[in-house]
Parts: sequence; C-alpha cells; structure tokens
Amino acid sequence: MKNVFFGKVRLYLAQAWLAYHSRFAITNPFGYFTAKFGFAFFLMIFFIFMAKYLGITDPQFIIIGNIILIPANGSMCGLTLSIGDERQWGTLSYVLGSPASRALIFLGKSFFYVLDGFLTGLVGIAIAALIFHINFSQINFRLLILSVFLLAATSTGTGFIFGSISLITRDGWTILQTFLSLLYILVGVNFPVEALPKFFQMVGYSLPLTRGLLAARMALDGAVWESVQGLLVGELLVGGLYILLGYAMFLLIERRSTRSGTLDAY
Amino acid sequence: MMVRTLNFYSLSLLVLQPLTFSLVGMLLSRAAGRPMPDLVYNIIGGGVMGMWSGIVFTSSWDIRGDRYTGVLELIVVSPTSLFTLNMIRSFTNVLSGFFSMVLAFLAAVFMYDLPLNEANLPAALVSLLLLLFSTWSISIFLSVFFAASRISGHFVEYLEMPVAILCGFMYPIRILPGWMKTVSSFIPIRWSLEAMNESLLGLANLPYLLGHWGLALLLSFAFIAVTFLMQKKVNDIIRVNGELSAI
Repeated sequence: MKNVFFGKVRLYLAQAWLAYHSRFAITNPFGYFTAKFGFAFFLMIFFIFMAKYLGITDPQFIIIGNIILIPANGSMCGLTLSIGDERQWGTLSYVLGSPASRALIFLGKSFFYVLDGFLTGLVGIAIAALIFHINFSQINFRLLILSVFLLAATSTGTGFIFGSISLITRDGWTILQTFLSLLYILVGVNFPVEALPKFFQMVGYSLPLTRGLLAARMALDGAVWESVQGLLVGELLVGGLYILLGYAMFLLIERRSTRSGTLDAY
Repeated sequence: MMVRTLNFYSLSLLVLQPLTFSLVGMLLSRAAGRPMPDLVYNIIGGGVMGMWSGIVFTSSWDIRGDRYTGVLELIVVSPTSLFTLNMIRSFTNVLSGFFSMVLAFLAAVFMYDLPLNEANLPAALVSLLLLLFSTWSISIFLSVFFAASRISGHFVEYLEMPVAILCGFMYPIRILPGWMKTVSSFIPIRWSLEAMNESLLGLANLPYLLGHWGLALLLSFAFIAVTFLMQKKVNDIIRVNGELSAI
C-alpha cells in the first residue's frame, strides 16, 4: 500500500518535473526572465500609453491587472505547450501506451507551472511597485498571496483544455493566443468587467481569473477575508470546473484516437 | 500570399488579435468618458498592430520552420541567397499583413463613418506606401537575426511590443516621454505612420509630410544597407562554424 502510494507520488512529480524542465532546459536565466516578464511588461506599457492618450490619468488599474495576469498566462501557456508538445515530438503514443494513471500524468504537468506562475506573479508585483511607485500601504499580504496562488492554479484549467485541443489540431497554440488576447477584455485586466456590455460581463464571470483578479485587487487595497471569500470560493469552483473539463476532454480525445487509430494524425 | 493569409493562424494574427486591441482601445475610450472611439488610432491603429504582429511572427516562423524541417541548410548552399529569399518572403508577409490594415480601414469607414472629407487622401496613400516599405525594411533586417540563431530569433519576437510602443501604433507619438521619442526617431515606421495618421486627420502640411517621408525613406534604406552587410557576416559565420542548425 505504502509502495503504491509512493510510486504514484514519484510518477506525479517525475511528470511534473519533465513537463516543466523540458520547456526551460535549453534557455539561460536572461532568456527565462524575458520569456516570463518581457511581453507582459511591454504590453502593459502599451496599454498605459493608450489609456494616457484617451484621457485616463491614473494607470494603476491597468498596471495591477496586467501584472496579476502574469501567473495565469504562465500556467496556461506552459501547460498548453507541454501537452501539445507530446504530439509535436511524437511522445504522445508512449504516454497513451503506458499503463500509468492518466490523471497523475495529466495533473502532474501543472505542478511546477503553478509554482512558477505564483512566484513570477509575486516578483512581478514587487517590480511594478518599484517602477511605478504604487502605494501598497493598505495591502493585505496574506490574501494577496492566496489570490495570486489561486490564479496560477485555476488558470491551469484553460491550459488543460487548450492542451487537449492542441492534440487534435495544429492550431492549438494559435487558439490559445486568441483566447489570451480576449482575456485582456473579458476578465477585468484593463478596465472593470462592469464596463462591458451585459452579455460580455456574463462571459467574463463564466471564465476563471475574473473573480481572482478582483480579489487580488481588493487584497491590494487592504480588503479582509470576509469581503473577498465569496470571490475566492467562486474562483476555485470555476477553475475546478475548467480543470475537470480539460481532463474530460483529454480522456475523450484519447478514447477517440485509440478507437479510430488517428493518434498523431491531425 | 493567399495561402499565407487565409488560414486560422493568419486570421487570428491579422484579424482577431488586432480586433482585440481595437476593442481594448474602444472600451478604454468609454471608460475615459468619450462617446466615440478615436477612429484613426483605435481602429486603424489596431490594423497597423495586426500588420506588424503578422510580420514579426510569420517572418520568425518562416526561418524557424526551415530550421525545424532541415531546409535552412539547403537554402544556404543553394545559388539563391538566403537574403534574396528573405526579401521576397518578407514582402509577401508585409502584403499579407496589409490585409489587417485594409480590414481596419474598411471598418473605420463603413462601420464608424470615419470622416474622410478633411483627410488628405493622396498624402495618406503615399504615406501608406512608405509605411509598407519601411515595414519591409525592418522585416528583412530582423530576418537576419532569425537566421543567425534560434535564441536571437526568439528575442526578436519580443520586439513586437517595444516597436509598437515607440512608433505609436495606437496613440500619437507626442504623448511619449522625450527619451522615447528620440529612440523612436531611428525607426522608419514611426515617420511613415505618423505622416499617414496626420494625413487621415487632415492635420499635415506639405513641409511636414516631406520631412516625414524623407526620413522614412532614408532610414529604410539605412536598414536595408545594414541588413545587406550583416547577412554576409551571418552567412559566413554559420558556414565557417558549421552551426547552422545547431544554434
């Protein structure tokens, strides 16, 4: 019993490490940091200038929204690539042919991306505070940490979904990128979700990240647990639902491809 | 060109993502209390953004694809130089990216009634041609880095946003801090784009336009000249070291 348990833990961690290490093994620290912060940072600057031109004088909302989206982006992109690469590099057949638990293999891929996203998010907030002199005197640090961790974890659901999609289409990465660009509108990154038309507000609240971002913003403003618990529980539920959906998609694709013999054929 | 434009990857890059940028601009406009979006900067600017992203990423994937499929060696040893091929490919990428701008322009005119009665259309057209030329010159310049090594190509992709920031794709240059204006003055796209936007707004006079067109042309030729010198060097390095596909 004990051996079975440790065997599963070993499988989970080995898969987690492989999924993460394979992505960043060939890069150097400079490449790693630019991959993490480069695009997100410059995109934020671009939005700040757009807002400045349009007459929005206080860019704090945009800065915080973009920085807090970093952990989610890391989890989503990393996982999608990690799952999609199984097909790209021809290792999918070995994964599906092995008797190892699918759940452990699948969920294991997210472990280090969640940790990495969480730490990157915290570093991003610190950098933003230094560069833009944001006043964090009211901050509820424990709630902020919890919110950022939750964002890194719940965003894995969409990573699993787009990863599974990339097993059946070559455009999985492109579909993810399109989805990511929509997040800048739908989840309250550059303006509150309430600024959207009603239908898109509903779309926004049916996605992970929306509630987590709001909770993180409130934590930065010094909110207490009672005022954000509803948002955090909601974020956990929506994120959990997306993770289940991603896993179900993976199983479905596996079953379909095994039956039709079309594995790697897309 | 049709193959390059009409696929999901290009449609996402040239239509959906610029649309997202335009929507962010429009919603920020609304948040700032403006009743109407800024048609030139929010809508057409989104198209410029799409064109630029298209060029950076398709140029990157062209050479990355060659490397991945082992075609890069064949190209390098063929009598047609990689530089010539890159010039043609980049030209196709610019035309394919132009699709994004055309869509944005049509959206601004037909969906939002962009007022063209005050616009200086001939000047806007000349500026547009210069914008395509200057974008092409930058595109072939960047393609040398994609050929040089995997890692340098990777970093060039990060130029997507800095160039968009410095050249004022979705806002006028005048709002940038002084040091950023100075840096952007070395990029030809900045001058042709500024001339095009000001012509569409009907704000540009002839001396202003001539100055901007002249600088756009001069800098574009400078980039082409530097590219020509660099590609020889890169070609020699990757042949002598035998590191073509290894780096």
